[in-house]
Amino acid sequence: MKFGIFHELATPRPFTRENEAKVIRNALEQVRVADEVGFDTVWAVEHHFLEGYSHSSAPEVFLTACAAQTEKIRIGHGAVVCVREMNHPIRVAERAAMLDIISNGRLEFGTARSSTWTELGGFEADPDRTKQDWDEYVRAIPGMWTQERFSWKGNCFSMPERAVLPKPLQQPHPPMWVTVTSPGTELDAADRGLGCLGVSTGSVADQEKRTNEYHRRIQLCDPIGAVNDQVATLNFMHCHEDLEVAAKRGMSFLGMFGLLNSHLLFTREAYATTGYQSLGGLAAPASSKSGGNPGAAYGVPEGVCIGDPKAIIEAIKRWESVGVDQVNFLVNACELLPQEQVLDSLRLFAREVIPAFRPSATDGGQG
Amino acid sequence: MLAGTADPKGFERDAPTMPSFAENGVEFPNAVFVQALFEIEAASMCEMLPPALHPTLPPVAGITVLDVPESEWGPFRMAELRIQCRSGLRSRAMGVSTVVDRAEVGVELAERFGFRVVLGEVALERAYHETRIEVGAEGATWASAAMRGPKRIGEGDMQFVSTMHPAQTPVGFRLVQLDTRYGVQRAERAPLDLEVFDAAAWGESRIVPSLMLPAVVGIADVRLDAIRFACRAEVMAFEGSEKVGAR
Repeated sequence: MKFGIFHELATPRPFTRENEAKVIRNALEQVRVADEVGFDTVWAVEHHFLEGYSHSSAPEVFLTACAAQTEKIRIGHGAVVCVREMNHPIRVAERAAMLDIISNGRLEFGTARSSTWTELGGFEADPDRTKQDWDEYVRAIPGMWTQERFSWKGNCFSMPERAVLPKPLQQPHPPMWVTVTSPGTELDAADRGLGCLGVSTGSVADQEKRTNEYHRRIQLCDPIGAVNDQVATLNFMHCHEDLEVAAKRGMSFLGMFGLLNSHLLFTREAYATTGYQSLGGLAAPASSKSGGNPGAAYGVPEGVCIGDPKAIIEAIKRWESVGVDQVNFLVNACELLPQEQVLDSLRLFAREVIPAFRPSATDGGQG
Repeated sequence: MLAGTADPKGFERDAPTMPSFAENGVEFPNAVFVQALFEIEAASMCEMLPPALHPTLPPVAGITVLDVPESEWGPFRMAELRIQCRSGLRSRAMGVSTVVDRAEVGVELAERFGFRVVLGEVALERAYHETRIEVGAEGATWASAAMRGPKRIGEGDMQFVSTMHPAQTPVGFRLVQLDTRYGVQRAERAPLDLEVFDAAAWGESRIVPSLMLPAVVGIADVRLDAIRFACRAEVMAFEGSEKVGAR
């Protein structure tokens, strides 16, 4: 089991220059601490125009800083929006390769197509064709990274034979992922040999069903590059010795995140299309089943990693039991929790929880 | 976090009175519907909503037109202007006002379901290549729009959201939640050309259209459900939602 921290860069109002800078600086400090104490990956999303919810519009820049300030933690570009109006595929390949080099081969490369009209509408992107764009990007980019010279003739873009430079450090290329919000996208991931990067929270039972089908399908895949058969899920985490304290703090930022998420205009609500069959909500609803977990008495939903170390270990073991390889954590939203509480939570998690999944690890070390 | 800042008393003045909550739904089989949404300028997005509701980002309003050929009230046409919003985590729209072409239907809609009704004229004309709507009252046009070059879409490709109607109810002034179900038989999407939109006539002059979204035109069995929930307007939905009426 691997553990990551996941940054949306949710920002409190008013959106002063100081507030935005503070969120980003605090996030970078969290990444440095996560690296020191043994987390495996830092992920940063790409979102645009999502007021409050995510100010992470240039993750490649944020992640370059992460790479420069850390030693071991993997750098999760999670994920690049593969839509023609937002990122040209050649630029995507070039930037990712550079980031892989800067990070000394630590890049995890996520792909996505955006789920909100807030974003797609802002770029005047056509929701009918984002899936086609994404499909073409993920088929082309491995070739750009691995072929000395590359050419492409497609529906979304074409290019004559050129050398796309530089090449990434990892051989044959960084692990590739696709973000999964809509039901069925895990099958798209499996069919192409891509890792399944869950970015919406759901029940353990739902995850088990999805993971089983993913693992079955990926055995039969026609890979678009090197196969990445990992399944990652998104979760909320606040770890404190006192379960009640953890629940109070953790549920506050979980609730805030859910509200901010719900205020976005999901594509399906604004633009009738076959391309978006679900709303793509992120946060665990307040009515989620508690599932008998230790935090249930304090309103912590089933499987959510908010609690004391024992409760969190129990929650993670449930995810592990259904085939999840990596759990990525949101650790704050809109600076609701003071930075010291977030850092203490990361340290306690590393000290008390990570060793339970890495018997050979020493405290704070990477197993 | 954004939330409405309008004084709920401002909604009370023009709110319909519901002697009781609708205990039974009403069905409109084979109704022609138009859902015409447009983004609106964000400057007043919070001022137009009560504290119970949150604006969407970006803010959106829309006109829903129904041409009902048969119902327990007989045939009629109606057009409602709504502002898309959130009630807690849920997608909703707040009703601004509704034009109905038959007075007795208007009474039913207002007293049972909380529509703020104005008697007027609603036209919905469908041709192969174009659908037109025109809504108005007392000789004035409140809205007219054309949707040309329709493209067939799937029956499940669109999203309908429930409406929050500000209304005087047996339990006091509330936002009354109306769940409307669409059993879509056929649907088309077409670019929206909003030719006329008189926001003040509809009752909310701060609605300024800024970007047209593709309209949906279709045929559906439409059902207005019995009223089951209402919400206090002055507090967030987590605190102010309550079960009412039919169980």
